[in-house]
Amino acid sequence: MRRSRELYILTMITLIGGALLGAADAVLSLRGNSTSAGFRTFWIVMLAGGAVGAAGLLESLRRSCQRLIAQLREGQAQTLTGNALIPATAFPFFSRAVNELQDACSRSVAQANLRAKELEIQLKVANAERQHAEAIIYSISDAVLVTDPFDEVVLANESAAKTFEFDLSKAARSPVDRVLRDPKMIAMIREMRQSHSRTGRRIVEHEVRSAAGGRTYKITLSSVTDGDAPAGVVAVLHDVTREKELAEMKNDFVSMVSHELRTPLASIRAYVEMLIDGEAQDAKTQREFYEVIQNESNRLGRLIDNILNISRIESGLVRVNKQPQSLTVILKDAIEVIAPQAQQKQIKINEQLTPIFYQTPADRDMLYQAALNLLSNAVKYTPTGGTISIQTTVDEGQRKVLTKIIDTGVGIPPKDLPYVFDKFYRAEANNRMANGTGLGLSLVKHIIETVHHGRMHVESCVGKGSAFGFELDLCE
Amino acid sequence: MSQKTILVADDESHILSVVSLKLRNAGFRVLTAVDGQEALDLTLSERPDLLITDYHMPAFSGIEVCQRLRQAGVKIPAIMLTARGYNLEPAETSQYGIVCMISKPFSPRHLLTTVQEVLERGVASTGTSEAA
Repeated sequence: MRRSRELYILTMITLIGGALLGAADAVLSLRGNSTSAGFRTFWIVMLAGGAVGAAGLLESLRRSCQRLIAQLREGQAQTLTGNALIPATAFPFFSRAVNELQDACSRSVAQANLRAKELEIQLKVANAERQHAEAIIYSISDAVLVTDPFDEVVLANESAAKTFEFDLSKAARSPVDRVLRDPKMIAMIREMRQSHSRTGRRIVEHEVRSAAGGRTYKITLSSVTDGDAPAGVVAVLHDVTREKELAEMKNDFVSMVSHELRTPLASIRAYVEMLIDGEAQDAKTQREFYEVIQNESNRLGRLIDNILNISRIESGLVRVNKQPQSLTVILKDAIEVIAPQAQQKQIKINEQLTPIFYQTPADRDMLYQAALNLLSNAVKYTPTGGTISIQTTVDEGQRKVLTKIIDTGVGIPPKDLPYVFDKFYRAEANNRMANGTGLGLSLVKHIIETVHHGRMHVESCVGKGSAFGFELDLCE
Repeated sequence: MSQKTILVADDESHILSVVSLKLRNAGFRVLTAVDGQEALDLTLSERPDLLITDYHMPAFSGIEVCQRLRQAGVKIPAIMLTARGYNLEPAETSQYGIVCMISKPFSPRHLLTTVQEVLERGVASTGTSEAA
């Protein structure tokens, strides 16, 4: 701006100087009767001064334009605002027009720059959001698969790749029927896309088969639209295999419990009604009926106790009171209770127990219950005249005590052996031998392994007998 | 009228005893079986007029006994006792000659009434029955 002003002053000086010189020359010419020569000189000077001035002004304009273009290029037009190229006092009309143009250009450039910056920010935000969304999709355990209107895979996470066994790095922009090998899944994605539903959502349960076996998924298929046009399909697969297994286990458990509760209840109800109706015609029959009712009531009570105890142990709600206990004393107490039943069947009981001073950290009532269940089973499945041996041995080095209850009973078939500790499992071959709830051994295993962190094991030979054993820690 | 023969099959000895006694007291000849195989063998050899069978039994179930009887061309009406609730379709049960299902616990009195209905008319007043 300083240079413009200097050029402007130079032009003015030239013009005024030229005029003065021309005027002086004219005066001198008049004195010397050379009027026409003086005026000619005056005009020449005036024109020359004007030409120099115009040249200066044009140079000034050129420089200003160059600077303006340079500044426009540099995107710094906003700095021009308020700095007029041509002083308003020089050529009012021309300078106003140029300056207005300059202002307009400056504003447009400023706006364009502002918009560019806004777009740049928006792009950065959109990129960040997309990366964030992708990071979320990649991190979730559910399988996510997104397809476009051409049924090509747009996005898929690792879980989807694992579920459908495809290469994640090659999936993008590949047709879904080349990525997936599950015809039903492909068909569902196509159907969803073709439905043109704006807010369509379909939830289906589907089993996906893989090398590792079949797993069940709850699939949520959503139709994505761009305005009125379908933009693709989002499929989210939630693995419900475990939930289904648990639901089935729960149903089986309820069904089993229901069956086991109904069976003794059926006897109680039938015998009571028979007594009421006078169907038991003599005192001996009546007594038999009363005994059946009593036994079945006890069975019902034991069943309920066992169910509750197992349930409490499994849910961790059981209150365990571990104290140093003599396992030998607990076993002797249980043997004392079971002895009359053994005596009825003329079963001999052999005791080979360690001295009572060996102690184990145990909940006395629970361990007594476990011992009683094992002894009761031994008596139930041992024929008349058999033998039951109860042995305990101490391993001082390992600080363990091993208990074995060995019978000469019917034994357990090998096919049933892996399941004897399962809830409600009863070896079919031994069903007729005795009544049972199918919960006794399950409870024993829970008491030994879950509550006392011991180890339970069984050996058996059909026709020869069974040996149930458990290992517990000795007190330090 | 000749004495009717009923075969009762159940692996629960108390149920077997009480049902047998109720039917004998009502004048029926009663045969008993403790598993599916025995029930099938006795039915084929003795040709009873009616079969009362538990659903869940060792060897094979009550429904399998009825299926095998049909396969052998033996058409004997059956009443099924079950402690598992009703989980069979009526079409399925009628296909194998099961005219009535009775849920445990049951009333021996109600069972006797059903038995008489089936033997007299060939059908029970109710296809399935809770303990009355």
